[in-house]
Amino acid sequence: MEMFFYGFMQRAFQASFLISLIAPILGLFLILRRQSLMADTLSHISLAGVALGLLIGVNPTWTNLLVVIVIATLLEYLRQIYRTYSEISIAILMSAGMSLALVLMGINDGGATLSMTQFLFGSIVTINEQQVWLLFVLTAIIGLLYLVFRKPMYVLTFDEETAFTAGLPIKMMSILFNILTGVTIAVIMPIVGALLVSAIIILPAAISLRLSKSFNGVILIGIVIALLGMLSGLAISYEIGTPPGATITLILMIIFAAISLIKYSLRHIQLERLYKKSDAS
Amino acid sequence: MHYIEVEKLAFHYQDEPVLENISFEVDPEDFVMLTGENGAAKTTLLRNILGLLKPSKGSVRLSPKNRLGEKLVVGYVSQQIASFNTGFPSTVLELVQSGRYQRGKWFKRLDKDDKEHVRRSLESVGMWEMRNKKIGELSGGQKQRIAIARVCAADPDLFILDEPTTGMDVQSREEFYKLLRHNSMEHGKGILMVTHDHEEIRHYASKHIELVRKEDSPWRCFSMDSCKELSKPHS
Repeated sequence: MEMFFYGFMQRAFQASFLISLIAPILGLFLILRRQSLMADTLSHISLAGVALGLLIGVNPTWTNLLVVIVIATLLEYLRQIYRTYSEISIAILMSAGMSLALVLMGINDGGATLSMTQFLFGSIVTINEQQVWLLFVLTAIIGLLYLVFRKPMYVLTFDEETAFTAGLPIKMMSILFNILTGVTIAVIMPIVGALLVSAIIILPAAISLRLSKSFNGVILIGIVIALLGMLSGLAISYEIGTPPGATITLILMIIFAAISLIKYSLRHIQLERLYKKSDAS
Repeated sequence: MHYIEVEKLAFHYQDEPVLENISFEVDPEDFVMLTGENGAAKTTLLRNILGLLKPSKGSVRLSPKNRLGEKLVVGYVSQQIASFNTGFPSTVLELVQSGRYQRGKWFKRLDKDDKEHVRRSLESVGMWEMRNKKIGELSGGQKQRIAIARVCAADPDLFILDEPTTGMDVQSREEFYKLLRHNSMEHGKGILMVTHDHEEIRHYASKHIELVRKEDSPWRCFSMDSCKELSKPHS
C-alpha cells in the first residue's frame, strides 16, 4: 500500500484511470475504420514532435501537439489518395516520424538523449500535475463528443459511402477524428511510452469486440478491461520494478489470451452437448 | 420536377473514357431499371449521380427538395454493402434503426414513428425475428436483406440501388420488386436500380435505360423509352 503515499504514484493511478476511459472509445473506432496502425504512426510522429521541442527549447508537450495535429490532418489526404491501400499512408508516415525524431535527436545530442528514452518507454515519474489535468480535460471532451456524435460515427464507421449519401460531412468528421486521436496520443505518449501507446489504445477494444454485440457494450466492457489492465499493470510494475507501459501491455495480452481460450472452450462444450443431444434422439 | 437530372455526362478514369453523353431523368413515381453488360460502368454512373465521383463533362442534378417541398432524402444501397466488416458490433435492430438517423435524428431519440418504420421494414424483408442477432453472424443473403431494410426504414424519396437482389431467390426478388413498385406508385418515390435480371423485372419497372457501346468506345446511354439522345458515333 506504500505506493499510494507517493505523489507520482497517485498521479500515475489518476492518469491510468483516465486513459482507461478514453482508450476503448478511440480504439473501437480505430479498429472498425481499419486504422489500428494509425495510433502507432501518430506515436512515432509524436516522438518527432517531442524531439523538436527539446531541440528548440520549447515545452515538448506543445510542439508535440502541434506536429501531431498537422500530421493527423495530412493522414486523411493520404488515406484518400491510397484509398484501397490505406495502410501505405500509415507506413510512410511511421518511418518518416521515426527518422525525423532520430535525426533531430542526433542534431541535439547530449542531455536530451536521456529524456528521449523516457518518451520511448514511458515513465511514470515524468507525470506532472499539468499532464493529469490535460488528460482530465481531454477525457471530458472525448466522453462528451462520444455521447453527442455517437450516431453519426456509427454510420460513418459502418460505411463511408452510406454516410456520405445520408448527408454527413465525412471528410471533416474523419479529419477531426484523426486530430482527436493524435491529441490523445500526444498527451498519453509520455506516460506509457511511444512504443506501446497504440497497444494500450487498441487492445481493450480489440478484446471487448469479441464479448459484446453492441457499440455501447463494446465500449463499456472495454473500459472495464482497460481499468483492470492499467491499474494492476501499474501496481505490478511498481512492485517488481518493470516498465509500466510494457507491464500493462503484457497484462492486456494475458486477458486477451484468457478470453480467447474461454470462448473457445465454451464453444467446444456447446458443440459437444449439441452432438450428444442429436446422438440421443 | 426531376429528382435526378443527368445531362450529357461523361466520365473518365484518368485518360480512359468510360461514360459518354449520358442524359436521362428520374422523376417521382418512376421505377427506372438500369442495365448493361458486365463492365458497363453502371456503378460508376450511380456514383457520379450520388456525388461520390465528379463527372468529367456534363452535369448531374439531384433535386434538393422532394415533391412535398421538404428536403430530399436519398437511400443508397451499394453493391458491397452486404460485405461489411463481420466484426462490426451491432445488432440487426441497431443497424436498421440507423437508417432513421438521417431523418433528423442524428442528435435526437428515435420516437414511436421511427420504431414503427423500423419494425415494418424488418418485417417486410422477413428479418424481424432476427433483430437481436449480431449482424456479423448473418448469412450473405440475410445481410443483403437487412441492408435493404435499413434503406426502407429511412423512407427515402429517392432510392438508388446497385444490384440489390444479388443472391436472392426468384420469389424474394419478385416480392422485392412488388414492394418497390408499390413504393413508386402509391407513395411517389423515385427509384433508380441497377440490375441484371431483365425479364422478371420488366413487368414492374416503368422505364428501362441500357448502357451500350460500340467497339472500343465509352459506354453510352441507350434506352427503350427514356433517353433523350442517342449517342453519335465515337470520333
